[in-house]
Amino acid sequence: MFRVFHAEIMKLRKTKIYWLVLLGVLPACLVSSMALLPKISSDGTPIDLDMQEMFYHQGMVLSVFGPALFALITGYVVAREYQERTINQLFSYPTSRTIFLIAKLLVVLSLIVITVALPFVFAIGSTLLIRHTLDIPVLWLGMKMNIMICVLSFGAIPTAAALSMVGKSIMPNAVLGVIVSLFAGISEAKHSMSSILFPWLTPYWPVRDLAQDIAQSGPNPYVIPALTILILTFIISLIFCIVYYNRADVHSGT
Amino acid sequence: MITLDYVLRTYHLTKRYKDKVVVHDLNMNIKAGDIYGFLGQNGAGKTTTLRMLMGLIRPSSGEIELFGTGLNGNKNKALERIGAIIEYPGFYLNLSAVDNLGIHRRLMGMGNKECMDEVLTTVGLHDAKHQKVKNYSLGMKQRLGIARALLHRPELLILDEPTNGLDPGGIKEIRQLFLDLAKQRGITIIISSHLLNEIEQVANRVGIIHQGKLLEEIDHETLQKRTRHYLEIKVTDEQRAAYVLEQKLGVTDYFVTEPGILRLYEHLDQSTKINLTLTNNGIGVKEIALSGDNLEDYFLKITGGE
Repeated sequence: MFRVFHAEIMKLRKTKIYWLVLLGVLPACLVSSMALLPKISSDGTPIDLDMQEMFYHQGMVLSVFGPALFALITGYVVAREYQERTINQLFSYPTSRTIFLIAKLLVVLSLIVITVALPFVFAIGSTLLIRHTLDIPVLWLGMKMNIMICVLSFGAIPTAAALSMVGKSIMPNAVLGVIVSLFAGISEAKHSMSSILFPWLTPYWPVRDLAQDIAQSGPNPYVIPALTILILTFIISLIFCIVYYNRADVHSGT
Repeated sequence: MITLDYVLRTYHLTKRYKDKVVVHDLNMNIKAGDIYGFLGQNGAGKTTTLRMLMGLIRPSSGEIELFGTGLNGNKNKALERIGAIIEYPGFYLNLSAVDNLGIHRRLMGMGNKECMDEVLTTVGLHDAKHQKVKNYSLGMKQRLGIARALLHRPELLILDEPTNGLDPGGIKEIRQLFLDLAKQRGITIIISSHLLNEIEQVANRVGIIHQGKLLEEIDHETLQKRTRHYLEIKVTDEQRAAYVLEQKLGVTDYFVTEPGILRLYEHLDQSTKINLTLTNNGIGVKEIALSGDNLEDYFLKITGGE
């Protein structure tokens, strides 16, 4: 398994996929850095740097742009085998097709982790630079939020993989990404609690929990159904991917 | 059933797409050390057959036996012993030749890196090994495909149209490489092609496929016998000419192809004598030419000239 995963990583050398990762990292860093700007309260006293606000902004950006970015990354990792006509060769190796699929999904997970981790590291670094100290409970909240974003974002990845397998192109994922991100942007602007029922927006659940001064606060009542939907989406689309990858005849590779 | 002499056999192999039968009841027999020319026109079913051999598509019915065991359940073990180019040598275009071979090496579980230099030298790409594959010509990609197929020292090479995109010099080099591989390393090679002369020059056994059916499997000697040369003689009276040639020169191996044309399979180096004999016996000779059924003629003959 490790040799297949390593080979999948080797395939990404000198590709533009890292620009896609940066496309998620940079806005998240930029928006969260707004919390670094000096602020003054209504009574004229300066407000201290709020790490929770940084993590919240960072999470907002990732939960809006993440679904599109991660769908595109998945599309690239899966569909390029068809587009560059390497699928014949890939399936001629003495390795189960399921192992190749799992290796590809693990590569996507790794890229999701990098996309989420870099802004988190940026937030910690900039806080340390300005305040020279860290609020450990808030740091833990931020870490928890980022881990949950990674896990919950991965829940919708097999669906994106299935789309690029069937479409043999990155285009279906691009369309999916645009639609999902638009929907995420609108829903999250309204701070809708129920939006997390949509599998691509479930990562908004831990982000919203960090929000301060919004109308509806407290535990999100839609968590259980949202997680159920996401898990079902994950399992069904993963089974579809495995069956499709294993049973599909490989023709011209296009 | 003892089949160890055979590296590859298929039994009633069939591939059907809805109502269309692409490969029909194919019984292929390839012995160890063979260079097997898999000959057929475009769309005859060659690539579909090779894809089934590599497990890329599932047969509708029939069986494949590789290295003495059935492919079902043993696919991965069989694939470890095969190198292949199917239809098009696909590579990760953003990577160099060495990087692409590195991925192959890793996926085949090979340890040493030196073998990469060795195969790149063998196919004449050593100097271009750090160039990105996207800058390669089709011919260079074909060479790199052959290098990749050879890297893990396979016992069976399956090459689908391997000389596509190569220049005449390159074709000659690659042809010699195949002959050396078969002779020196004992590798069994299957080469599919629609180019008759390519197969004729390299294969010791030929399988002819047409409209999904394997029409014939013959060895090179038999093929040579069937693609004999002859003298084609255009005369004013073919019946009298035949009589004269039988009586005066003892010719027996001939036939009349059409009115006024005789085809002679002996005395090929005696055209002057034949001309004189016929003329002296009052038969007008319009033309004598040395000709022959090459593989192309033979192929057209057995495929019905389509």
